[in-house]
Amino acid sequence: MAESPPQTAFAEEALSHLDTLYRGALRLTRDPDAAQDLVQEAYLRALRYQHSYQPGTNMKAWLFAIMRNLFWDRFKGSRKEDVSLDDVGEFVLYDKLRDEGARPEADVLDKLAASEVVAAVEKLPPLHREVVLLVDVEGFSYKDAAETLGVPIGTVMSRLHRARQQLQKSLYDYAVESGIVRGNGTKEVPNQ
Amino acid sequence: MNCSDCKDKLDRYLDRELSNTEMLELQLHLEGCPPCAENYEFQAGLKRLVKVCCEQDKAPEAFREKLRQILT
Repeated sequence: MAESPPQTAFAEEALSHLDTLYRGALRLTRDPDAAQDLVQEAYLRALRYQHSYQPGTNMKAWLFAIMRNLFWDRFKGSRKEDVSLDDVGEFVLYDKLRDEGARPEADVLDKLAASEVVAAVEKLPPLHREVVLLVDVEGFSYKDAAETLGVPIGTVMSRLHRARQQLQKSLYDYAVESGIVRGNGTKEVPNQ
Repeated sequence: MNCSDCKDKLDRYLDRELSNTEMLELQLHLEGCPPCAENYEFQAGLKRLVKVCCEQDKAPEAFREKLRQILT
């Protein structure tokens, strides 16, 4: 039986946010097959509960909330461990590189491989990773991110700050390991 | 505004989450403080880099079609 026009319109609008959901699921699960399963389940759930969506509100945020809630339902057992994030203190990559003689943007940012940046994001615990995905990748406001995640805005801000600190630490470690900067932070000088 | 205030508010400035007045105050500080301005440029570059790198993944076309079949 053909679906009614409203349902088709709802599905089409929902599908216009597929890339956002898929990227989010891929970063959370770190597995393309698991990401597709998660997104498919999220869309089926969205369709089932479409009456709870208020037209004119942020459908992307609503769908993302469904997807991440399903993700957390599946990984509930590991939730406590996932909350923890090693305290790296106030790690400011810029200050560290600058103090040690490198040109932070030209010497480091421009040389980081995309795959390493993605790997650094995926190394974050999921609770911190999802804030980076919403705010930095998808451009959500703190308010929309807070509503999507069901936490206060202050929690979004603190998780985001800690996530960025950890991200900079991971990228610094990669820059050292790959020889972009020396262990003490000074710029690698090619042999003449 | 001093450098310490600037550092405290830098995340919210990067994310355009300050009030108009605070945005302007911080902008004025950055215009007069090269070290803070360079740090801001670096942090903004990092934020852009994360976005660009993570945005490269798109849903596979076959998956999009499969979902369309299921949902409509």
